[in-house]
Amino acid sequence: MAAMNDASAPVLTARGVRLGFADDVVLDDIDLDVAPREFVAMVGASGVGKSTLLRAFAGLLTPLRGDVHLSTADAPASRTWSMVFQAPRLFPWRRVRANVELGLEGLGLSRDERRARALEPLSLVGLEELAERWPRTLSGGQQQRVGIARALAVKPRILFMDEPFSALDALTRQRLQGELTELRQRSDAAIVFVTHDIEEAVLLADRVVVLAQPGNGKPAGVRDIVAIDLALAQRREQSGFRDHVQRLERHIGVATTPEEKTS
Amino acid sequence: MTRHARHRRTLVSAVSLTALVALWEIALRMGWLPSNLVPLPSSIPGILWAEVQDGIWLDVVLSSLSHYSIGLVIGSVLGIAVGMAAALLPWFDAAHSWLARLLRPIPPLAWIPFAIIWFGVTETAAAFIISIGVFWINYFTSYSAVRAIDDGYYEVARAFGQGGFTARLTKISLPAAAPGILGGLRAGLGQGWMTVVAAELFGIPGIGQRMMEASGLLATDVVVVYMLTIAALYALFDFLFMRIQRRVLRWQQ
Ligand SMILES: Nc1ncnc2c1ncn2[C@@H]1O[C@H](COP(=O)(O)OP(=O)(O)O)[C@@H](O)[C@H]1O
Ligand SMILES: [Mg+2]
Repeated sequence: MAAMNDASAPVLTARGVRLGFADDVVLDDIDLDVAPREFVAMVGASGVGKSTLLRAFAGLLTPLRGDVHLSTADAPASRTWSMVFQAPRLFPWRRVRANVELGLEGLGLSRDERRARALEPLSLVGLEELAERWPRTLSGGQQQRVGIARALAVKPRILFMDEPFSALDALTRQRLQGELTELRQRSDAAIVFVTHDIEEAVLLADRVVVLAQPGNGKPAGVRDIVAIDLALAQRREQSGFRDHVQRLERHIGVATTPEEKTS
Repeated sequence: MTRHARHRRTLVSAVSLTALVALWEIALRMGWLPSNLVPLPSSIPGILWAEVQDGIWLDVVLSSLSHYSIGLVIGSVLGIAVGMAAALLPWFDAAHSWLARLLRPIPPLAWIPFAIIWFGVTETAAAFIISIGVFWINYFTSYSAVRAIDDGYYEVARAFGQGGFTARLTKISLPAAAPGILGGLRAGLGQGWMTVVAAELFGIPGIGQRMMEASGLLATDVVVVYMLTIAALYALFDFLFMRIQRRVLRWQQ
């Protein structure tokens, strides 16, 4: 119990994780610790296995080898982890608020408590007014915000985000990136954020994990972990920002071309 | 469609129907059509009134409605249950698929001999026959509606602690498949009503039996009265169902 209550003990520990499908090993030898409230970005080319790794961290996929351990939620009426997907994946047959309540069902909350707990993250993402709307009446960016509210509603220890902004237009993406940076300060969740956009990773994260293939047909692994030692405010304007981006681009091995960014 | 265009459409439909009936009436009165084969349209309201006055109309309509509703409920519930189970449970799908393929092409009316052997010439027999057609429609629409559900929804459910069978069924499979399931129910509503008359032709009291009686007496006007009754009742059910459907699926519109 003492170890579990240790405020600095990692919320996620991965050791020697190997992942794959059938005979095909996609990722191997993954070691990673995520500290409480830390923001870890995982970058890598399309198809390198980012989503697969995230699903394994969440326990939605069993590793072929190795262990993933999440320290379980100790706050009442909360969940250990939750997830924001690339597509919002709202339930179109539920109103916005009921979508946000999804993870709160089965946690022993009353109807009113659930409602209150759903409105809280909705106002955090600025959508309190749209709580009674149907998802189809929302824009893509608003829907993704609802997806974020749904994930925050369960007060997770770890929030997994799988390219949550990549399907949005550039303006909306930038706005949501800013909002996420603000949200971080108001939430206790650690965040594991998958993206193929290196700038986005440097902009948001405390640490960037680079996933890449060694190039000899072997499964991909962690090529590098880079700490981003820049203040969160106005990060894009700081002199170190470009250096980090360029260094990571070199690490991935291929300079990111515009085609790759849109894939 | 604009409101104006819609009004015009209604007007054109009404005018053409009226014209057709008028033409029919004229053709009979002028002797262009043999009057023992088709009734005079203008005689229909009087015949309907006579049937109502005798209490026959209400009697046969109520009997038919009772066969219909029992067959409809049984066929729909079983069809949806079996169709959804087949779509959700691979072992059940495998276990029943050959049987389904074998039985499915058999039309409801081909079950009349067994219906009579098992239930006699009874209301149960009529309900049984009606339920068969309704069953297959609901079975297939439910099966394909559940099959078509995006797996992503189930992953969301698992990610938010709703991965159990019951939670998946009530929180995803049912609502996500609802448009398809309701479409099947509506089609079954029509299919069942079509079988009602046929199922009653062999002597079970109801609209069908009354029509057979009338045809034996060459009372074409009585036959037409009940044909119109069938059409009107169907239009009513379909209208009511559509309103329910629209309400249940208001998240879609
Ligand atoms: N369910 C699956 N079955 C088989 N192969 C899969 C499955 N999901 C992903 N893969 C394969 O695993 C590799 C990594 O996929 P993914 O994790 O989606 O990559 P990323 O998210 O980095 O773009 C790809 O080669 C993909 O084809
Ligand atoms: Mg992916």
